[in-house]
Amino acid sequence: MEYEESRISAHHNYLVNRVLTPGFVVGKPNEDKGFFLLADLVLPGESTPRICARLLDAQGVLLLELEWNRIRENPGMCTHRPVPGGFVIVLPSEEALMEVRTESFANGYITRIKARLFDETGQVRSETLGESLQVRGEAKLVLDSPFVFSRK
Amino acid sequence: MRKRKTNKFGGVWVFGDYRNYFQNRVTLQLIAKATDLARDLKTEAAVVVLGQDIHQYVMEYVAHGADIIIAAQHPQLKDYEVETYTAVLDRWVKAFEPEIFLAGATSFGREFFPRLAKRLHTGLSADCLALEVDPDTGLLVQTTPAFGGELLAEVVTPHHRPQMATVHPGVFQERAHNSEALGRIIYPEIGPLPVPRMKTIRSRRQQSHKLNLENARVVIAGGRGLGTKDEFQMLYEIAELLEGEVGATRPAVAEGWAEEDRLLGQTGKSVKPTLLISVGTSGALQYTTGIQGAETIIAINRDPHAPIFRMADLGLVGDVHTLLPLLLDVLRRRL
Repeated sequence: MEYEESRISAHHNYLVNRVLTPGFVVGKPNEDKGFFLLADLVLPGESTPRICARLLDAQGVLLLELEWNRIRENPGMCTHRPVPGGFVIVLPSEEALMEVRTESFANGYITRIKARLFDETGQVRSETLGESLQVRGEAKLVLDSPFVFSRK
Repeated sequence: MRKRKTNKFGGVWVFGDYRNYFQNRVTLQLIAKATDLARDLKTEAAVVVLGQDIHQYVMEYVAHGADIIIAAQHPQLKDYEVETYTAVLDRWVKAFEPEIFLAGATSFGREFFPRLAKRLHTGLSADCLALEVDPDTGLLVQTTPAFGGELLAEVVTPHHRPQMATVHPGVFQERAHNSEALGRIIYPEIGPLPVPRMKTIRSRRQQSHKLNLENARVVIAGGRGLGTKDEFQMLYEIAELLEGEVGATRPAVAEGWAEEDRLLGQTGKSVKPTLLISVGTSGALQYTTGIQGAETIIAINRDPHAPIFRMADLGLVGDVHTLLPLLLDVLRRRL
């Protein structure tokens, strides 16, 4: 019998590929250019997800860089809007680029990310599948410890 | 996230019953015991969780000590349906081969666990009051009432696996919630699900009267010796004055003097109050197994040889119909 296996935190998890995980990374966050999405570990005592990303459009053009949930670079003129339980990144066309919402339970949290994201070659790297984010291509779907950036 | 294929997995499994999660907590209590047993056997404790929206429960189980969660999410698993659950668990047990499989002696556990044991051609000890690993044989020693509760039998399952048992709510103590805990979660194939022969048309929660027997500081329990429902009603007033709850023996429930969910003992609840007042109860083993965790027991019975006096800290020999009104009168004046 085949089965999927992941790690799970008692405190906070993301839902990716319909599986719970404490943290994950898609793409190459340590490179200076190109797509990546990092959903880092949320440690006890904190309740907000920790998202960093470099998001591109379908042509591979940079839209924005997100650093710990806040917009850093924004050539795509996107806006960051708070919503109950999280935030939405909205394109100038008012289309939602990425939605991040955290559901809180009595003793824990689950964050769901909805986004159709492209890499620098125009390949789709993530799509929304029901309540889960479905990711494609190079990814590390389980982080055991907080991510450490090595780029300068 | 990895795709894996099963080989022999072993482990101590617990069935994750979360329907009445906040009331009975039995799954968390079993997880605590399973982690102890797993440590003794040098293996891991796993909780099997089936359902549709199970995330908060699997995280809670990790926080309470589970090493592994074995999970399935499917719309057909939303309702606790005996045939469906038995089919999935039969498949998984055969694939993973756990050493031990435990479930709470809830209404559902009592219904589906025997079916599962039959399918797996293994034994099942029902309503266990203790579980330990024999250090010499490594077998699970299952202490369970036998012969109508007159004896406590120690049962082992030497030749068949898994070793299966159901356990009363309140027998074991749950561990504290640990937000820093990490575990593994696996999602095995569910396989084809049977077409259920029964269909749940509607499910609704029974009207709650905020019964909190398991956590009550004071419990006043009544038995057949009270004689009538009117006499039994006095217990409610005494309980209210003492800010406690009312429990009942099987005969009192059978007479219709108290609701089924007030039943104490082997087939009911186990309580651990600071003070338990046992009124008109003989002290049959079926009942006393549910009150043995009480710190102080006061027993009232007219029979000086009633077994209840053997476990009571203070015994009052007398007619309950005389003593209860006196007790009530004193409490009314003093409280």
